[in-house]
Amino acid sequence: MEQDINTLEQPIVRLRSQRERLWHTFSRNRTALLGLIMVIVIVLVATFADDWFVAVFQGRDAQHLLAPFDPAKQDTRSRLQPPDEAHRMGLDTYGRDVTSRIIYGTRVSLLVGILSVALGGAIGTFLGLIAGYAGGKVEDWIMRSVDVLMAFPSLIMGLMVLAVLGPGMSKMIIAIGIMCSPAFVRVVHSSTLSVKENDFVLAARSIGVGKFRTVRVHILPNILGEVVVLASIYTATAIRVEANLSFIGLGVAPPTPAWGTMIRDGTQYLTTAPWISIFPGLAILITVLAFNLLGDGMRDIIDPKSYT
Amino acid sequence: MLRYIIRRIILAIPILLAVFTLVFLVVRIIPGDPAQSALGDYASKEAVEALRERMGLNKPLLVQYFHFLGDLVRLDFGESLISGKPISEQVAYALPYTLELTLAAVIFGVLLGVPLGVFTALNRNNAIDYLGRVLSLAGLSVPAFYFGILLILIFAVELGWLPAVGGGDLVGEPFKSLKYLVLPAVTLGLIMTTSVTRLSRSAMLNVLSEDYVRTARAKGLAERVVLIKHALRAALLPIVSITGFWAASLIGDSVLTEFIFSRPGLGKMLVGAILQRDYTALQSVMVIYAAFVVAINLITDLTYGLLDPRISH
Amino acid sequence: MLSRRTVFLLLAMAALLTLLAAQCGATPTPERIVEKVVETVVVEKEVAGETVTVIETVEVEVVKEVEKEVVVTATPEPVEEPLILRLGQNSADLSSLDPHFATTTEARALVDMIFNGLLRYKPGDGAFENMEPDLAEALPEMEMVGDQQVWTFKLRQGVMCHPAGNLAAYELTSEDVVYSLEKAATTERSAYAGEYTGMSFEAVDDYTVKVTLDAPLSPVLFYPKVANYSGGFIVCKQGVEALGDDKFKTHPVGTGPFMFESYSPQEKIMLKANPDYFRGAPKIDGIEYRYMADISSREAGLLAGELDVIYGIPDILWVEKMQGEEGVAVDVFGVGEVATVHFNTSVPPLDNPEVRKALAYAMDRDEFLALFGEPVAENVYSPVPSKFLAGGLTQEEAEDLGLAYDVDRELAKQMLADAGYADGFSLEVVTSEMTGYRRIYENMQAQLAEVGVDLKVNVVDHSTMHSQIREDVNPIVVYIAWRPNADVYLTRFFHSDSIVVTGAKPDTNFSHIDVIDDVIESARVATSAEEQIALWKDAQITILEDMYAYPLQFQQQVYARSDKVDYGHDLVSVLALYPGITENTTLER
Repeated sequence: MEQDINTLEQPIVRLRSQRERLWHTFSRNRTALLGLIMVIVIVLVATFADDWFVAVFQGRDAQHLLAPFDPAKQDTRSRLQPPDEAHRMGLDTYGRDVTSRIIYGTRVSLLVGILSVALGGAIGTFLGLIAGYAGGKVEDWIMRSVDVLMAFPSLIMGLMVLAVLGPGMSKMIIAIGIMCSPAFVRVVHSSTLSVKENDFVLAARSIGVGKFRTVRVHILPNILGEVVVLASIYTATAIRVEANLSFIGLGVAPPTPAWGTMIRDGTQYLTTAPWISIFPGLAILITVLAFNLLGDGMRDIIDPKSYT
Repeated sequence: MLRYIIRRIILAIPILLAVFTLVFLVVRIIPGDPAQSALGDYASKEAVEALRERMGLNKPLLVQYFHFLGDLVRLDFGESLISGKPISEQVAYALPYTLELTLAAVIFGVLLGVPLGVFTALNRNNAIDYLGRVLSLAGLSVPAFYFGILLILIFAVELGWLPAVGGGDLVGEPFKSLKYLVLPAVTLGLIMTTSVTRLSRSAMLNVLSEDYVRTARAKGLAERVVLIKHALRAALLPIVSITGFWAASLIGDSVLTEFIFSRPGLGKMLVGAILQRDYTALQSVMVIYAAFVVAINLITDLTYGLLDPRISH
Repeated sequence: MLSRRTVFLLLAMAALLTLLAAQCGATPTPERIVEKVVETVVVEKEVAGETVTVIETVEVEVVKEVEKEVVVTATPEPVEEPLILRLGQNSADLSSLDPHFATTTEARALVDMIFNGLLRYKPGDGAFENMEPDLAEALPEMEMVGDQQVWTFKLRQGVMCHPAGNLAAYELTSEDVVYSLEKAATTERSAYAGEYTGMSFEAVDDYTVKVTLDAPLSPVLFYPKVANYSGGFIVCKQGVEALGDDKFKTHPVGTGPFMFESYSPQEKIMLKANPDYFRGAPKIDGIEYRYMADISSREAGLLAGELDVIYGIPDILWVEKMQGEEGVAVDVFGVGEVATVHFNTSVPPLDNPEVRKALAYAMDRDEFLALFGEPVAENVYSPVPSKFLAGGLTQEEAEDLGLAYDVDRELAKQMLADAGYADGFSLEVVTSEMTGYRRIYENMQAQLAEVGVDLKVNVVDHSTMHSQIREDVNPIVVYIAWRPNADVYLTRFFHSDSIVVTGAKPDTNFSHIDVIDDVIESARVATSAEEQIALWKDAQITILEDMYAYPLQFQQQVYARSDKVDYGHDLVSVLALYPGITENTTLER
């Protein structure tokens, strides 16, 4: 390899100033900022779809707030009505308001996207740290298991895990979480390998700092950036996978609206009633793009020269 | 290095065994069985039982396991439980379609992604850079099933330029079948474009800050010469070596693409096998599949090692 | 490490491939070549027609002649592409081409083109009354010998079995017929063996076959067993024996208008015309039967002219839209697969008949109907569909008996309150991801919510649903199915032997009803048609009175085709669940 390698890593920077520096760079990175703003708007839409935060205290059922109609209200006799004044995005195959279903659908996408990555990211980071730091047999076992999991295409793995666990949102989160974790293991593993060879880690070890403390204080903070970036990108992926699984037909239980399921219903009617699939498709595009922008921007900040 | 490769190949055997065992167990845990799906809704329990018996599904699990394992060791993939066709025949038929699609998608991704990456790198942090990156990320963000169907609608139905579905006759008329490849390859390649753009951009930025590029500039060489002769050539190196990694992940993404375009590839075979509970087909295809991914991962690890000597094997 | 040369080699390959791709996009398609051939024909005609004085008229006539010309010259001209009808089917892959294992829609259609029965339903007309001889010369003679019933079939002479590999075409005789029927009756070799118990088969001479029944059956119940349906399809003995049962599943040998040519897994099956077909050689050269589980691809294929016939969407809005497309025709025809809602009477609160009736009153047939629209779906009022089969109850009959259960949600709520469920209750079911099922369950969920019943619906894949409902998981089972006669409907869904899990021969009795066994059995052996029909109706009245099952609707078949395709018969109903492609089917290019 021709490229020469930095022989010395940067000195350990105090966390607080690092944070300040990060935010400074972040706010100047337009990609990341755009992504963040989009994510915030999407989260707001999901939160205020109905007035659950009031209803919880009043002990009543939540009523739709941002959504113009009840997303589960069917009227089969006027199904597939094109968009008009009342129903801006038309009615679906059951005569339900597409706008309301897209707004409520934000919740499923965000919940599945964020929770499955939190799950997969936590497991993956944990195993990756162990593998990278402990080495030896443990490393071999973990990395080979990861290889086994990575041998499955995400769609096939999702189908199989869902078939074993049974249907439902929590099962979906577990399935996608399992699917995401190998990527975290691999990235954390290789970063740990890199970081562990650094002088400050070797120094800490040599003055007798415990293994656990070394990992927590010296290694984890140094790889956390990469984990956060990966989490953001994988949230995007998880939302896409959720949509794929829903599209195959194994989404969350009805009547809860999910975008992938809406598109599935709509693909049959692409030429008859395009509105029932075009709008949820845009919703997925925008949401996934938001997380991708955020992740990509952050990666740029943390390591502008990274290859991955 | 050679010892490392041999060690990794030996290590791959337990991985393949684990994949096989996992698939073997999982398909038997999940509800539904091949006899039921072969006979459909009309079947009576009696008929299903008779067929199960004939398929050998009533034997003890361990017996079935070692039976299939024995076959597999002899590279005999057995016959599809549903159609009775030899699986090796089906795979031999399907594999070229998947490889063709993946290769074409990689090529599309590289041809679109590299120029976009270089271009954005040269215009770092101005409007063109941002626009290019947002567009390439949008490519990654659009669901494949959505984009694929839109392509079919536009180019096959409205314009009639390209065939909508199928894979063509790859063996009999390989060149004629290429037009069946265009839309699926674009759909799949778009996912790849994002990564290639990102990588090319980073690689280019890396190279542009290298001493020899600065030296070349300082010598007063024309910017075009500097870029093409010095920078781009060096930047291509990491791009090419990591392309294999994406090829592996693209094979995974190809499942849905094949499904949408009704291409008779491995992915479609996998989905079919899982929906029909074709145990033997699923087991064998997954092992073949895993062998591919393992091989590609091995190559990736090797190139990583070469890129970053700090990671020792 | 990849060398620089390798890098450039890769790039060069990429460029080459792109060029090739572009090149191929530009090459004329075969259709266009065909058009050119036609154009030269036009020129010749114009030369010949120039003697006519009015030029405009000549041009018009020429165009017409050209269209005819294409059809006529299709067969003799070696330059012409063969006339292959391309059909896009809603299925991922083949299940079995052995007709005795062909139970899926996709396989039923194929074996219908490859095989014959002793008798047949008229093409495009699945009515029992219009059945006609197929491999037999005439409808069979029946005589009673002691307690046994004997049917004698005279076979057509000169019917040829398809050649297969080294096996040359040979004449089908009674030996083949007996072999085939015996195969259909053997559990290991047929999915329909249960329907041939108590029957024996005998070849009297080369062209005479005797079928002996231990228990007599009326023609309504007997004919379907020896017709071009399920176990009644006649396979060629030498073909089966040469290939073996397993290979036969992907290489069928029959006597029908089309014969097997090739099978590409997950992709397509090619059939070619049987030139020796006893009703005459088919007018098309073959069939390309494509496996395309995605409707958008099928629709796009048809609109782009790459397919001639497609399995459509059972939805009136789609039908209307496709009918509006230029060059496309849509057929909606029977048989209608009946969707029935079975209540599991073994679990509370559905063990209470009042609760079941309340649920029936809570459901609105017309609202379900609007999901698909007439005539794609039509309401039914008894588990046996009266439109297609003898023994069903019509809407008037059900209404006269007070068993129509027209929607009345106030009454439903009242009945639930009386039964102690004023606040409703909740039930959990699984549904298949397939649209036909999921739509009904999801709409039912919304309808039952109106009376306070909370139906939790879990979506699983189709295979999982079929296995779970057979394990009695669902308190409410929606089942959509076609059965050839009232006896099969009643026996398989409402006889106690068929009760899921616990029955003597567990099948598809999801309601656990066990009170009409004797009515079903006496109807089966009744020899007078009136008596039989009366008994069948009695059985269904009991089912409705205590609401074991709520008959919802039947869903017809929807296929779209290019208007260049003419099936060669009117379409009323087809048991094979496809439009029926025969020797009379024509296609223009």
